[in-house]
Amino acid sequence: MKYSEITIRFCGIAGDGIVASGKILAGACANIGLHVMVNNIYSAEIRGLGKSSATIRFSTEKLYSMGDGLDLLVGMMSKESIIDLRDVKVGGNVIYDTSTIGDVAEEDSLASHITPEIQGHGLPIKKLANEATGTNQGKNLVAIGAICYFYSLPPEMFIDQIRSVFAHKEEHIIDINIKAFNLGYEYFRENYPLNNQFEIDKRSEPRALTSGNDAIAKGAIDCGLKFFAGYPITPATKIMEIAAKELPKLGGWTLQMEDEIAAIGAVLGAWFAGKRAMTATSGPGLSLMSEMINMSVMAEIPTIIVNVQRGGPSTGLPTKVEQGDLNIALYGGAGDSPRVVMAPTNSEECYSGIQLAFDIAEKYQTPVIFLSDLFLGQRTETVTIKENIDRNRCTRKKPTPEQLENFQRYQITDDGVSPLIVPGEPGAVYSTTGLEHSVTGNPNYEEDVHSMMTAKRFRKFESMVEDLPEADILGEETADIGIAGWGSTIGSILEGMEIAKKQGVKTKLIKSIMIHPQHEDSFRKFFASCKKIIVPEMNYQGQYAALLKSRYGIKPIEIHIPSVNPVSPLKIAQKIMETSSELSQ
Amino acid sequence: MKHVIIGAGVAGITAARTIKEQDREAEVVVIGDELFLPYKRYLLSEFLSNSIKRDELLFFSIGMLKELGIKLRKGEHVKTIEPLKKLIKLHHNEVMHYDKLLIATGGSPSLGLVLRPYKKHISFYSSLYDTLVLKEKLPEIRKCIVFGNGVSCLDLICMLRNLGKQVTYITKEEQATFALNEYDFEGELHTFLEEKGIEIITEDQIVLIEESDNGYKVETIQQKMLTTDIVFAWDYYKPNIACIEDSAIEKKTGILVNVRLETSEKDIYAAGDCVEIYHPCLKNYWINFGLPNALEQGKIAGKNMLGQNEEYKIQEAIVFNLMGKSLKARWWK
Repeated sequence: MKYSEITIRFCGIAGDGIVASGKILAGACANIGLHVMVNNIYSAEIRGLGKSSATIRFSTEKLYSMGDGLDLLVGMMSKESIIDLRDVKVGGNVIYDTSTIGDVAEEDSLASHITPEIQGHGLPIKKLANEATGTNQGKNLVAIGAICYFYSLPPEMFIDQIRSVFAHKEEHIIDINIKAFNLGYEYFRENYPLNNQFEIDKRSEPRALTSGNDAIAKGAIDCGLKFFAGYPITPATKIMEIAAKELPKLGGWTLQMEDEIAAIGAVLGAWFAGKRAMTATSGPGLSLMSEMINMSVMAEIPTIIVNVQRGGPSTGLPTKVEQGDLNIALYGGAGDSPRVVMAPTNSEECYSGIQLAFDIAEKYQTPVIFLSDLFLGQRTETVTIKENIDRNRCTRKKPTPEQLENFQRYQITDDGVSPLIVPGEPGAVYSTTGLEHSVTGNPNYEEDVHSMMTAKRFRKFESMVEDLPEADILGEETADIGIAGWGSTIGSILEGMEIAKKQGVKTKLIKSIMIHPQHEDSFRKFFASCKKIIVPEMNYQGQYAALLKSRYGIKPIEIHIPSVNPVSPLKIAQKIMETSSELSQ
Repeated sequence: MKHVIIGAGVAGITAARTIKEQDREAEVVVIGDELFLPYKRYLLSEFLSNSIKRDELLFFSIGMLKELGIKLRKGEHVKTIEPLKKLIKLHHNEVMHYDKLLIATGGSPSLGLVLRPYKKHISFYSSLYDTLVLKEKLPEIRKCIVFGNGVSCLDLICMLRNLGKQVTYITKEEQATFALNEYDFEGELHTFLEEKGIEIITEDQIVLIEESDNGYKVETIQQKMLTTDIVFAWDYYKPNIACIEDSAIEKKTGILVNVRLETSEKDIYAAGDCVEIYHPCLKNYWINFGLPNALEQGKIAGKNMLGQNEEYKIQEAIVFNLMGKSLKARWWK
């Protein structure tokens, strides 16, 4: 068969080298100029106890999501891989280990669950790995070797990738891993000579791979992040790891705090001292930070909180994706507590979006909650990031000399933004507190002062709209079916729209990195041009749909997917088709 | 009752179908070593020459397998059988229980001591996989050498010639008889093939095969030096019975069965090209190759596995379409 797009999943238990398999396969494919997307799913438990999988999709065309279904499932561990068979496409393939030690019961055998629509291929993974490395290590490379032959991919690119991944190891480690790869390749060449063809454009240039977490960290550092404080939490920890590695090189600091409350406290302190600062967390951490976010609102101290959403509530599903934190991001504070909420839709937006978040936070002295999610944060993909490096960037509204003479930190202004000064500068004497305050910052509980200050804090959100990007409208302008989405779900929506288009159904999409505030006029105009509006999202309540309903008075068709996996484009396409049928009746 | 059938060829799949047609409640698992749905091997030449499409090769569609309730396991083979425990072990160490077992593993062309070292240079034509590989190579092939015997060899030669290839057939015999002791055919087979443009080298055999720049060099025992693009060769057709090697199931060249197709072990049956059955004319055990035998044995084995008592009667001949002319062949007089 000829392919121009393939999705492969490695499935095993933690410690099987599953994530490394994805890394090597993705690296090799990116090096030959293919578009690649990788999604790792692993258990929340420690090594050896839980299931782990890496799904790699590669294509000659740009990818927006993980797509639907698998062309190949590699079952490194038999029992753990059985459930993944349901994801294998009709006509798809399975590689299973034929060299397991000891008897395997029929019900626990991956092969016994393979249906006739799917083709199983036995490969003595463990035996060949042992032959190459003398241990059970290298199983993943045996499988990758077999895959390389099976899809006629260039083996030299894989060998280069193995050298690159193991570059920090001794030469003999590299050699035995290459041997494992070659044994898998040769086994398939001898036993399954009739292979498939993957169409490769030899003129393609190598592509860079990155993840949403990588892009956020890099974007923040490139626009002047000087201080990071955090507490490790899946799936956000990678951002702290990068900050810990990179910031000291640039004269910055990273602090691991005792918990999330301390982390955001430290970040507020750094901003108060005039440094661009950030924390990154996930749902449970965001819950803990809620009171300090309110402090940021009330004291008008900028802050950046990256929230890489996972399944919730509570400890929830630490290693699964969900978009369930929109409500807490928007409304999770006591009192009238306005905050900016942004949600990037891909890795490029993670980079550019976090820079915008810093500029907004600093200029408008407000918390910005940057809502990524596990799928976006952890997936690796080939992207073209337009670098924008300016580490001395400052968007702070500084006081004029006249203002400094009688400094009013919370001066009432038309745009709601008051002059901000770093404590210690001449004339910078003012009081900052979580208590309601007068223009000088002194505590004040009078009704008119509270009304005036509340209005000022909200007025900033009206004036900041001019600095915000317009919403993107994609698809067919004349389509009757409109879709509104947010975050990483956008990728699946775009592919779902493409599937529907092939069936002759036109759609259009409105997407914006800005959840609150938004350019409301463009949304109103878009919704007015639609006969039907669909809002898909990965949560049970339809949190974004609720926001749009209250804000724009629309009555959308809602798709609520309290998902542990990225949204299926096919599912969205099906809803589009249903909606189209209803419209034509 | 769990019926496990090893082999998804004509005999195996016919037995599976017979069981399910007579007992819808029976659990039937068919384990085939090929990667495909059960297909009609006797139509491979027509598929290769594009006379039929791949779908037309199939015995069963996936839908029909589901409808019948037959569980098919493709691309797997059985390593061992333990009759006392009623267990089989598959190549990946999976252990499966059975109540009734049918071995229908067929046979395959094999190489003798002389040809074995050249295995990697030799092409086979006994499965759909071989056919698909051959189909890819065919456009580049002009000259072919075939060495072997039997109806399948005759089929291969005719198919290659029909496709316009230059065919050289090498046989140990004085005439090209394909080990058929008796056949009904209008004229001499040997002459007919020569008239069709097939070169026949008699009383000779291949002793060396070497890769060359544009194909292969072949040397024969008569010291003929030939060149070719592809070599098909086999010395004999052998029952595939590796799975019973360590068991107490009685065997000679194939698995020995009685007329009810029962092996020496309780609840284990065998059918098709892997069995030897007593032939009253020959007064010896005999492998009953060919489609009609496999079909008949599959049906009878299926019925007997359900507790019936049917006896197999040897099919006397097979009828074969040889380049448009009918050939009725027997292996005995």
